[in-house]
Amino acid sequence: MVIDAYCALGVDREYDLVAERLLDEMDKAAVDRAVVAPIDRNLTVRNREGNDYILEAAAKHPRRFIPACSVNPWFGDEAIQEMRRAIASGSRMLVLHPLVQGFVADDELVFPIIGEASAERIPIYIHTGPPGNATPWQVAGLSRRFPAADFIMGHCGATDFWNDVVAAVRSVENCSIEASLARPFGFASFVEQLGEAKGVMGSFAPLNDLVLEWEQMRQVLPPERFPGVYGGNLARLLEKRAPL
Amino acid sequence: MIIDCHTHWGMVWQERDRGDPRRWLAVLDRHLINRAFVFGHANLDRLDHCREDNELLRRLSDASQERILPIGTVWLQMGAEAVNEARRCIEQLGMKGLKFHPWLQGASVTSPVMDDICRLGAEYRAPIFFHDGTPCYSLSEQIAGLALRFPQTDIVLAHSGLLWNWRSALLYADLPNLWFCLCGVTLRAMEIMARTVPPTRLLWGSDFGFGLADTIAYRLELARRACIPDPTRELMMGANAQRWLESR
Repeated sequence: MVIDAYCALGVDREYDLVAERLLDEMDKAAVDRAVVAPIDRNLTVRNREGNDYILEAAAKHPRRFIPACSVNPWFGDEAIQEMRRAIASGSRMLVLHPLVQGFVADDELVFPIIGEASAERIPIYIHTGPPGNATPWQVAGLSRRFPAADFIMGHCGATDFWNDVVAAVRSVENCSIEASLARPFGFASFVEQLGEAKGVMGSFAPLNDLVLEWEQMRQVLPPERFPGVYGGNLARLLEKRAPL
Repeated sequence: MIIDCHTHWGMVWQERDRGDPRRWLAVLDRHLINRAFVFGHANLDRLDHCREDNELLRRLSDASQERILPIGTVWLQMGAEAVNEARRCIEQLGMKGLKFHPWLQGASVTSPVMDDICRLGAEYRAPIFFHDGTPCYSLSEQIAGLALRFPQTDIVLAHSGLLWNWRSALLYADLPNLWFCLCGVTLRAMEIMARTVPPTRLLWGSDFGFGLADTIAYRLELARRACIPDPTRELMMGANAQRWLESR
Protein backbone atom coordinates (compact mmCIF):
# COMPACT_ATOMS: atom_id res chain seq x y z
CA MET A 1 0.00 0.00 0.00
CA VAL A 2 1.39 3.38 -1.04
CA ILE A 3 0.64 6.09 1.53
CA ASP A 4 1.29 9.81 1.51
CA ALA A 5 2.03 10.63 5.15
CA TYR A 6 0.91 14.25 5.15
CA CYS A 7 -1.57 16.33 3.19
CA ALA A 8 -3.43 19.34 4.58
CA LEU A 9 -7.04 19.30 3.53
CA GLY A 10 -9.03 22.53 3.52
CA VAL A 11 -9.11 26.05 2.17
CA ASP A 12 -7.56 29.05 3.90
CA ARG A 13 -4.79 31.46 2.90
CA GLU A 14 -2.21 29.34 1.06
CA TYR A 15 -4.24 26.16 1.48
CA ASP A 16 -6.65 25.24 -1.29
CA LEU A 17 -6.91 21.48 -1.24
CA VAL A 18 -10.32 19.85 -1.49
CA ALA A 19 -11.02 16.13 -1.49
CA GLU A 20 -11.68 15.75 -5.21
CA ARG A 21 -8.46 17.44 -6.19
CA LEU A 22 -6.44 15.46 -3.71
CA LEU A 23 -7.92 12.21 -5.02
CA ASP A 24 -7.08 13.25 -8.55
CA GLU A 25 -3.48 14.02 -7.63
CA MET A 26 -3.16 10.77 -5.68
CA ASP A 27 -4.33 8.88 -8.76
CA LYS A 28 -1.82 10.69 -10.95
CA ALA A 29 0.98 9.86 -8.52
CA ALA A 30 -0.18 6.26 -7.94
CA VAL A 31 -0.73 6.89 -4.25
CA ASP A 32 -3.31 4.59 -2.67
CA ARG A 33 -3.99 6.45 0.54
CA ALA A 34 -3.14 9.76 2.17
CA VAL A 35 -3.08 10.95 5.74
CA VAL A 36 -5.16 14.11 5.77
CA ALA A 37 -4.70 16.75 8.46
CA PRO A 38 -6.35 20.06 9.32
CA ILE A 39 -5.04 23.35 7.96
CA ASP A 40 -3.01 25.77 10.12
CA ARG A 41 -5.93 27.80 11.48
CA ASN A 42 -7.59 24.66 12.78
CA LEU A 43 -4.38 23.36 14.24
CA THR A 44 -4.26 26.51 16.30
CA VAL A 45 -7.86 27.39 17.14
CA ARG A 46 -11.23 25.74 16.57
CA ASN A 47 -9.64 22.31 16.72
CA ARG A 48 -12.97 20.53 16.74
CA GLU A 49 -14.08 22.26 13.55
CA GLY A 50 -10.89 21.15 11.78
CA ASN A 51 -11.00 17.63 13.14
CA ASP A 52 -14.61 17.20 12.10
CA TYR A 53 -13.86 18.46 8.59
CA ILE A 54 -11.12 15.87 8.25
CA LEU A 55 -13.21 13.07 9.75
CA GLU A 56 -16.09 13.83 7.39
CA ALA A 57 -13.79 13.81 4.34
CA ALA A 58 -12.30 10.50 5.48
CA ALA A 59 -15.74 9.03 6.08
CA LYS A 60 -16.65 9.82 2.48
CA HIS A 61 -13.47 8.22 1.17
CA PRO A 62 -12.61 5.56 3.73
CA ARG A 63 -10.37 3.59 1.40
CA ARG A 64 -8.35 6.64 0.37
CA PHE A 65 -8.05 9.07 3.30
CA ILE A 66 -6.61 8.37 6.75
CA PRO A 67 -7.74 11.08 9.16
CA ALA A 68 -5.31 12.87 11.47
CA CYS A 69 -6.44 15.15 14.27
CA SER A 70 -4.84 18.00 16.12
CA VAL A 71 -5.36 19.84 19.36
CA ASN A 72 -3.56 22.86 20.68
CA PRO A 73 -1.93 22.00 24.01
CA TRP A 74 -2.72 25.46 25.34
CA PHE A 75 -6.34 24.33 25.63
CA GLY A 76 -5.34 21.96 28.44
CA ASP A 77 -8.04 19.53 29.53
CA GLU A 78 -10.26 20.70 26.72
CA ALA A 79 -7.55 19.58 24.27
CA ILE A 80 -7.39 16.15 25.87
CA GLN A 81 -11.16 15.76 25.64
CA GLU A 82 -11.17 16.82 21.99
CA MET A 83 -8.36 14.45 21.14
CA ARG A 84 -10.20 11.55 22.79
CA ARG A 85 -13.33 12.45 20.89
CA ALA A 86 -11.51 12.68 17.56
CA ILE A 87 -9.72 9.36 18.09
CA ALA A 88 -12.95 7.67 19.10
CA SER A 89 -14.44 9.05 15.87
CA GLY A 90 -11.68 7.56 13.75
CA SER A 91 -8.57 9.79 13.85
CA ARG A 92 -5.42 7.70 13.42
CA MET A 93 -2.62 10.21 13.95
CA LEU A 94 -2.00 13.26 16.15
CA VAL A 95 -0.46 16.34 14.55
CA LEU A 96 1.41 18.96 16.55
CA HIS A 97 2.81 22.11 14.98
CA PRO A 98 4.71 24.00 17.68
CA LEU A 99 5.45 27.02 15.49
CA VAL A 100 1.83 27.54 14.51
CA GLN A 101 0.33 26.43 17.81
CA GLY A 102 2.66 28.59 19.87
CA PHE A 103 4.70 26.40 22.17
CA VAL A 104 8.14 24.84 22.38
CA ALA A 105 7.97 21.26 21.16
CA ASP A 106 9.34 19.67 24.32
CA ASP A 107 7.55 21.98 26.77
CA GLU A 108 5.85 20.08 29.58
CA LEU A 109 2.64 21.68 28.37
CA VAL A 110 2.45 18.98 25.72
CA PHE A 111 3.21 16.00 27.96
CA PRO A 112 -0.41 15.11 28.82
CA ILE A 113 -1.36 15.10 25.15
CA ILE A 114 1.53 12.88 24.20
CA GLY A 115 0.77 10.54 27.07
CA GLU A 116 -2.78 10.25 25.86
CA ALA A 117 -1.82 9.67 22.22
CA SER A 118 0.61 7.01 23.33
CA ALA A 119 -2.07 5.30 25.40
CA GLU A 120 -4.37 5.38 22.38
CA ARG A 121 -1.56 3.91 20.26
CA ILE A 122 -1.59 6.52 17.54
CA PRO A 123 1.61 8.04 16.12
CA ILE A 124 2.46 11.66 16.82
CA TYR A 125 3.54 13.78 13.87
CA ILE A 126 5.47 16.92 14.83
CA HIS A 127 6.25 19.65 12.31
CA THR A 128 9.91 20.56 12.75
CA GLY A 129 12.22 23.27 11.46
CA PRO A 130 13.19 26.85 12.24
CA PRO A 131 12.94 29.15 14.05
CA GLY A 132 13.89 26.90 16.97
CA ASN A 133 10.82 25.76 18.88
CA ALA A 134 10.48 22.48 16.97
CA THR A 135 13.94 21.07 16.48
CA PRO A 136 15.06 17.48 15.85
CA TRP A 137 16.61 17.26 19.29
CA GLN A 138 13.41 18.50 20.93
CA VAL A 139 11.57 15.66 19.21
CA ALA A 140 14.30 13.26 20.30
CA GLY A 141 13.89 14.56 23.84
CA LEU A 142 10.18 13.79 23.74
CA SER A 143 10.94 10.38 22.30
CA ARG A 144 13.23 9.64 25.24
CA ARG A 145 10.66 10.79 27.75
CA PHE A 146 7.87 8.80 26.10
CA PRO A 147 9.54 5.61 24.88
CA ALA A 148 6.21 3.88 24.26
CA ALA A 149 5.00 6.63 21.91
CA ASP A 150 5.75 6.70 18.18
CA PHE A 151 7.02 10.02 16.86
CA ILE A 152 7.27 11.17 13.27
CA MET A 153 9.67 14.06 12.72
CA GLY A 154 7.90 16.05 10.02
CA HIS A 155 10.20 17.77 7.51
CA CYS A 156 13.45 16.57 9.14
CA GLY A 157 14.09 19.97 10.68
CA ALA A 158 14.12 21.58 7.24
CA THR A 159 15.95 23.39 6.39
CA ASP A 160 18.57 24.58 8.79
CA PHE A 161 18.33 21.96 11.51
CA TRP A 162 19.23 19.28 8.99
CA ASN A 163 22.61 18.82 10.66
CA ASP A 164 20.92 17.43 13.77
CA VAL A 165 18.60 14.88 12.19
CA VAL A 166 20.78 11.80 12.01
CA ALA A 167 22.29 12.08 15.49
CA ALA A 168 18.94 12.96 17.08
CA VAL A 169 17.06 10.09 15.47
CA ARG A 170 19.85 7.62 16.22
CA SER A 171 19.67 8.56 19.88
CA VAL A 172 16.22 7.03 20.27
CA GLU A 173 14.29 3.99 19.07
CA ASN A 174 10.86 5.48 18.51
CA CYS A 175 11.28 8.30 16.04
CA SER A 176 10.77 8.16 12.27
CA ILE A 177 11.48 10.89 9.75
CA GLU A 178 9.03 12.32 7.23
CA ALA A 179 10.09 13.65 3.85
CA SER A 180 8.12 16.76 3.01
CA LEU A 181 10.08 20.03 2.84
CA ALA A 182 13.32 18.12 3.39
CA ARG A 183 13.39 17.78 -0.43
CA PRO A 184 14.01 14.45 -2.13
CA PHE A 185 17.76 14.89 -2.51
CA GLY A 186 18.10 15.76 1.19
CA PHE A 187 15.73 13.09 2.47
CA ALA A 188 17.50 10.37 0.51
CA SER A 189 20.68 11.10 2.40
CA PHE A 190 18.92 10.77 5.77
CA VAL A 191 17.34 7.46 4.78
CA GLU A 192 20.68 6.12 3.62
CA GLN A 193 22.23 7.01 6.96
CA LEU A 194 19.37 5.97 9.24
CA GLY A 195 18.09 2.96 7.35
CA GLU A 196 15.09 2.31 5.20
CA ALA A 197 12.83 1.48 8.17
CA LYS A 198 13.00 5.04 9.50
CA GLY A 199 11.75 6.88 6.42
CA VAL A 200 8.19 7.96 5.68
CA MET A 201 7.22 9.66 2.44
CA GLY A 202 4.89 12.65 2.66
CA SER A 203 4.19 15.44 0.22
CA PHE A 204 2.67 18.21 2.34
CA ALA A 205 0.26 19.05 -0.44
CA PRO A 206 -0.94 21.62 -1.26
CA LEU A 207 2.09 23.66 -0.17
CA ASN A 208 4.01 21.30 -2.39
CA ASP A 209 2.90 19.70 -5.64
CA LEU A 210 1.99 16.13 -4.66
CA VAL A 211 2.70 14.66 -8.08
CA LEU A 212 6.08 16.37 -8.39
CA GLU A 213 7.14 15.36 -4.89
CA TRP A 214 6.33 11.70 -5.55
CA GLU A 215 7.95 11.69 -8.99
CA GLN A 216 11.15 13.22 -7.68
CA MET A 217 11.32 11.03 -4.59
CA ARG A 218 10.92 7.86 -6.60
CA GLN A 219 13.84 8.95 -8.73
CA VAL A 220 16.21 9.33 -5.81
CA LEU A 221 14.85 6.50 -3.64
CA PRO A 222 13.73 3.72 -5.99
CA PRO A 223 10.60 2.03 -4.54
CA GLU A 224 11.96 -1.42 -5.24
CA ARG A 225 14.89 -0.71 -2.92
CA PHE A 226 13.03 1.36 -0.34
CA PRO A 227 9.50 -0.04 -0.28
CA GLY A 228 8.86 0.75 3.37
CA VAL A 229 9.39 4.47 2.82
CA TYR A 230 6.41 4.56 0.48
CA GLY A 231 3.86 3.14 2.86
CA GLY A 232 4.92 0.09 4.82
CA ASN A 233 6.75 1.96 7.56
CA LEU A 234 3.86 4.30 8.20
CA ALA A 235 1.28 1.51 7.99
CA ARG A 236 3.19 -0.35 10.69
CA LEU A 237 2.80 2.64 13.03
CA LEU A 238 -0.82 3.31 12.13
CA GLU A 239 -1.84 -0.30 12.52
CA LYS A 240 -0.71 -0.49 16.11
CA ARG A 241 -4.19 0.78 16.98
CA ALA A 242 -6.22 -1.10 14.38
CA PRO A 243 -5.87 -2.48 10.86
CA LEU A 244 -6.08 0.12 8.13
CA MET B 1 18.01 31.99 -21.14
CA ILE B 2 18.27 30.54 -17.66
CA ILE B 3 20.58 32.05 -15.08
CA ASP B 4 20.86 30.21 -11.80
CA CYS B 5 21.38 32.88 -9.15
CA HIS B 6 22.27 30.59 -6.27
CA THR B 7 24.92 27.91 -6.66
CA HIS B 8 28.07 26.89 -4.83
CA TRP B 9 31.43 25.45 -5.70
CA GLY B 10 31.21 22.92 -2.88
CA MET B 11 34.13 21.48 -1.01
CA VAL B 12 33.24 18.01 -2.27
CA TRP B 13 33.56 19.27 -5.84
CA GLN B 14 36.91 20.83 -5.12
CA GLU B 15 38.12 17.68 -3.42
CA ARG B 16 37.10 15.56 -6.38
CA ASP B 17 37.67 17.80 -9.39
CA ARG B 18 40.54 20.00 -8.21
CA GLY B 19 39.46 23.26 -9.77
CA ASP B 20 38.18 21.74 -12.99
CA PRO B 21 34.58 22.92 -13.48
CA ARG B 22 33.71 20.69 -16.44
CA ARG B 23 31.71 18.12 -14.51
CA TRP B 24 29.99 20.87 -12.52
CA LEU B 25 29.09 22.66 -15.74
CA ALA B 26 27.83 19.41 -17.23
CA VAL B 27 25.03 19.45 -14.65
CA LEU B 28 24.08 22.93 -15.82
CA ASP B 29 24.16 21.68 -19.41
CA ARG B 30 21.83 18.82 -18.54
CA HIS B 31 19.23 21.38 -17.52
CA LEU B 32 19.96 23.95 -20.23
CA ILE B 33 21.17 26.53 -17.75
CA ASN B 34 23.27 29.16 -19.44
CA ARG B 35 25.08 30.81 -16.57
CA ALA B 36 25.23 30.72 -12.80
CA PHE B 37 26.22 32.99 -9.96
CA VAL B 38 28.59 30.81 -8.00
CA PHE B 39 29.35 31.25 -4.32
CA GLY B 40 32.12 29.44 -2.51
CA HIS B 41 31.79 26.89 0.23
CA ALA B 42 35.20 26.67 1.90
CA ASN B 43 35.28 30.46 2.15
CA LEU B 44 31.91 30.45 3.94
CA ASP B 45 32.99 27.65 6.23
CA ARG B 46 36.43 28.84 7.32
CA LEU B 47 37.86 32.31 7.63
CA ASP B 48 41.36 31.05 6.87
CA HIS B 49 40.16 29.71 3.50
CA CYS B 50 38.52 32.95 2.50
CA ARG B 51 41.14 34.55 0.27
CA GLU B 52 42.26 31.37 -1.45
CA ASP B 53 38.68 30.29 -2.17
CA ASN B 54 37.88 33.72 -3.60
CA GLU B 55 40.82 33.25 -5.95
CA LEU B 56 39.69 29.74 -6.82
CA LEU B 57 36.29 31.07 -7.86
CA ARG B 58 38.00 33.50 -10.20
CA ARG B 59 39.96 30.67 -11.80
CA LEU B 60 36.84 28.57 -12.16
CA SER B 61 35.15 31.42 -13.93
CA ASP B 62 38.08 31.76 -16.32
CA ALA B 63 37.94 28.04 -17.04
CA SER B 64 34.22 28.25 -17.77
CA GLN B 65 34.29 30.95 -20.42
CA GLU B 66 32.50 33.19 -17.91
CA ARG B 67 29.51 30.89 -17.51
CA ILE B 68 30.49 30.82 -13.88
CA LEU B 69 29.84 34.26 -12.46
CA PRO B 70 32.00 34.37 -9.35
CA ILE B 71 30.76 35.85 -6.09
CA GLY B 72 33.30 36.32 -3.32
CA THR B 73 32.98 36.60 0.40
CA VAL B 74 34.76 38.11 3.35
CA TRP B 75 34.36 37.61 7.07
CA LEU B 76 33.16 40.55 9.10
CA GLN B 77 35.45 39.41 11.91
CA MET B 78 38.38 40.44 9.68
CA GLY B 79 37.56 44.09 10.43
CA ALA B 80 39.16 46.59 8.07
CA GLU B 81 40.84 43.73 6.23
CA ALA B 82 37.37 42.48 5.28
CA VAL B 83 36.71 45.69 3.40
CA ASN B 84 40.11 45.47 1.69
CA GLU B 85 39.45 41.88 0.62
CA ALA B 86 35.98 42.79 -0.63
CA ARG B 87 37.49 45.57 -2.71
CA ARG B 88 40.09 43.14 -4.05
CA CYS B 89 37.35 40.67 -4.98
CA ILE B 90 35.57 43.27 -7.07
CA GLU B 91 38.48 45.29 -8.45
CA GLN B 92 41.18 42.69 -8.98
CA LEU B 93 39.30 39.41 -9.17
CA GLY B 94 36.50 40.91 -11.23
CA MET B 95 33.79 39.36 -9.10
CA LYS B 96 30.20 40.22 -9.78
CA GLY B 97 29.20 40.64 -6.17
CA LEU B 98 29.61 39.38 -2.64
CA LYS B 99 27.91 36.68 -0.62
CA PHE B 100 27.39 36.43 3.14
CA HIS B 101 26.09 33.53 5.16
CA PRO B 102 25.73 35.21 8.53
CA TRP B 103 24.77 32.14 10.54
CA LEU B 104 27.53 29.99 9.10
CA GLN B 105 30.03 32.81 9.35
CA GLY B 106 28.83 33.67 12.82
CA ALA B 107 28.50 37.42 12.56
CA SER B 108 25.64 39.86 12.85
CA VAL B 109 24.90 42.09 9.89
CA THR B 110 24.66 44.99 12.32
CA SER B 111 28.47 45.00 12.44
CA PRO B 112 29.94 48.38 11.38
CA VAL B 113 32.10 46.40 8.95
CA MET B 114 28.90 45.34 7.18
CA ASP B 115 28.01 49.00 6.81
CA ASP B 116 31.32 49.60 5.04
CA ILE B 117 30.73 46.58 2.81
CA CYS B 118 27.30 47.89 1.85
CA ARG B 119 28.81 51.24 0.93
CA LEU B 120 31.37 49.39 -1.17
CA GLY B 121 28.59 47.47 -2.89
CA ALA B 122 26.89 50.75 -3.77
CA GLU B 123 30.16 52.25 -5.00
CA TYR B 124 30.77 49.39 -7.44
CA ARG B 125 27.12 48.59 -8.05
CA ALA B 126 27.95 45.08 -6.89
CA PRO B 127 24.99 43.15 -5.45
CA ILE B 128 25.35 41.57 -2.05
CA PHE B 129 23.74 38.16 -1.60
CA PHE B 130 22.70 36.88 1.80
CA HIS B 131 21.63 33.51 3.07
CA ASP B 132 18.30 34.28 4.69
CA GLY B 133 15.48 32.57 6.50
CA THR B 134 17.46 31.39 9.51
CA PRO B 135 17.88 32.76 13.02
CA CYS B 136 19.71 34.30 14.68
CA TYR B 137 21.72 36.36 12.20
CA SER B 138 20.07 35.57 8.89
CA LEU B 139 16.39 36.33 9.26
CA SER B 140 14.93 37.83 6.12
CA GLU B 141 13.84 40.93 8.01
CA GLN B 142 17.35 41.45 9.37
CA ILE B 143 18.74 41.36 5.85
CA ALA B 144 15.92 43.53 4.52
CA GLY B 145 16.85 46.01 7.24
CA LEU B 146 20.19 46.45 5.50
CA ALA B 147 18.40 47.20 2.24
CA LEU B 148 16.39 49.81 4.10
CA ARG B 149 19.48 51.40 5.60
CA PHE B 150 21.51 51.30 2.39
CA PRO B 151 19.11 52.19 -0.40
CA GLN B 152 21.91 52.52 -2.96
CA THR B 153 23.04 48.93 -2.45
CA ASP B 154 21.41 45.99 -4.18
CA ILE B 155 20.67 43.36 -1.55
CA VAL B 156 19.61 39.84 -2.53
CA LEU B 157 17.61 37.56 -0.25
CA ALA B 158 19.24 34.43 -1.59
CA HIS B 159 16.48 32.17 -0.24
CA SER B 160 13.56 34.61 -0.01
CA GLY B 161 12.83 33.46 3.50
CA LEU B 162 13.14 29.69 3.00
CA LEU B 163 10.25 27.66 4.43
CA TRP B 164 8.78 29.79 7.20
CA ASN B 165 10.30 33.29 7.04
CA TRP B 166 9.02 34.31 3.61
CA ARG B 167 6.09 36.36 4.90
CA SER B 168 8.58 38.55 6.75
CA ALA B 169 10.55 38.92 3.53
CA LEU B 170 7.40 39.97 1.69
CA LEU B 171 6.84 42.84 4.08
CA TYR B 172 9.86 44.54 2.50
CA ALA B 173 8.98 43.87 -1.12
CA ASP B 174 8.45 47.58 -1.67
CA LEU B 175 12.17 48.32 -1.31
CA PRO B 176 13.49 48.91 -4.83
CA ASN B 177 16.97 47.63 -3.95
CA LEU B 178 15.80 44.35 -2.42
CA TRP B 179 15.86 41.29 -4.70
CA PHE B 180 14.16 37.98 -4.11
CA CYS B 181 15.88 34.80 -5.22
CA LEU B 182 13.25 32.05 -5.10
CA CYS B 183 15.44 29.24 -3.84
CA GLY B 184 14.19 26.98 -1.10
CA VAL B 185 10.64 28.22 -0.66
CA THR B 186 7.68 25.91 -1.22
CA LEU B 187 5.83 25.84 -4.51
CA ARG B 188 2.92 27.70 -2.92
CA ALA B 189 5.15 30.39 -1.40
CA MET B 190 6.80 30.77 -4.78
CA GLU B 191 3.42 31.43 -6.35
CA ILE B 192 2.43 33.96 -3.71
CA MET B 193 5.76 35.76 -3.93
CA ALA B 194 5.55 35.91 -7.72
CA ARG B 195 2.22 37.69 -7.32
CA THR B 196 3.44 40.08 -4.63
CA VAL B 197 7.03 41.05 -5.42
CA PRO B 198 7.53 43.32 -8.45
CA PRO B 199 8.43 40.86 -11.24
CA THR B 200 11.56 42.81 -12.15
CA ARG B 201 13.10 41.90 -8.79
CA LEU B 202 12.57 38.17 -8.87
CA LEU B 203 15.41 35.72 -9.40
CA TRP B 204 15.63 31.95 -9.35
CA GLY B 205 18.23 29.67 -7.81
CA SER B 206 18.87 25.98 -7.18
CA ASP B 207 21.45 25.93 -4.35
CA PHE B 208 23.27 23.38 -6.47
CA GLY B 209 26.84 22.48 -5.57
CA PHE B 210 27.00 22.19 -1.79
CA GLY B 211 26.97 18.45 -2.27
CA LEU B 212 27.29 16.32 -5.37
CA ALA B 213 23.54 15.72 -5.67
CA ASP B 214 21.71 17.34 -8.57
CA THR B 215 19.38 19.76 -6.83
CA ILE B 216 18.66 21.59 -10.05
CA ALA B 217 16.20 19.05 -11.46
CA TYR B 218 13.82 19.43 -8.54
CA ARG B 219 14.02 23.19 -8.19
CA LEU B 220 13.75 23.81 -11.91
CA GLU B 221 10.66 21.65 -12.09
CA LEU B 222 9.20 23.52 -9.15
CA ALA B 223 9.62 26.81 -10.97
CA ARG B 224 8.11 25.34 -14.13
CA ARG B 225 5.05 23.88 -12.41
CA ALA B 226 4.32 26.88 -10.21
CA CYS B 227 1.30 28.92 -11.21
CA ILE B 228 3.22 31.99 -12.33
CA PRO B 229 2.42 34.12 -15.40
CA ASP B 230 4.85 33.23 -18.18
CA PRO B 231 6.26 36.76 -18.57
CA THR B 232 7.05 36.82 -14.83
CA ARG B 233 8.63 33.38 -15.02
CA GLU B 234 10.81 34.51 -17.90
CA LEU B 235 12.05 37.49 -15.91
CA MET B 236 12.67 35.35 -12.85
CA MET B 237 14.50 32.56 -14.63
CA GLY B 238 17.04 34.74 -16.37
CA ALA B 239 15.98 38.01 -17.91
CA ASN B 240 16.27 39.97 -14.66
CA ALA B 241 19.75 38.62 -13.94
CA GLN B 242 20.82 39.22 -17.53
CA ARG B 243 19.62 42.81 -17.39
CA TRP B 244 21.46 43.21 -14.14
CA LEU B 245 24.70 41.93 -15.66
CA GLU B 246 24.37 44.13 -18.70
CA SER B 247 23.83 47.21 -16.56
CA ARG B 248 27.18 46.79 -14.84
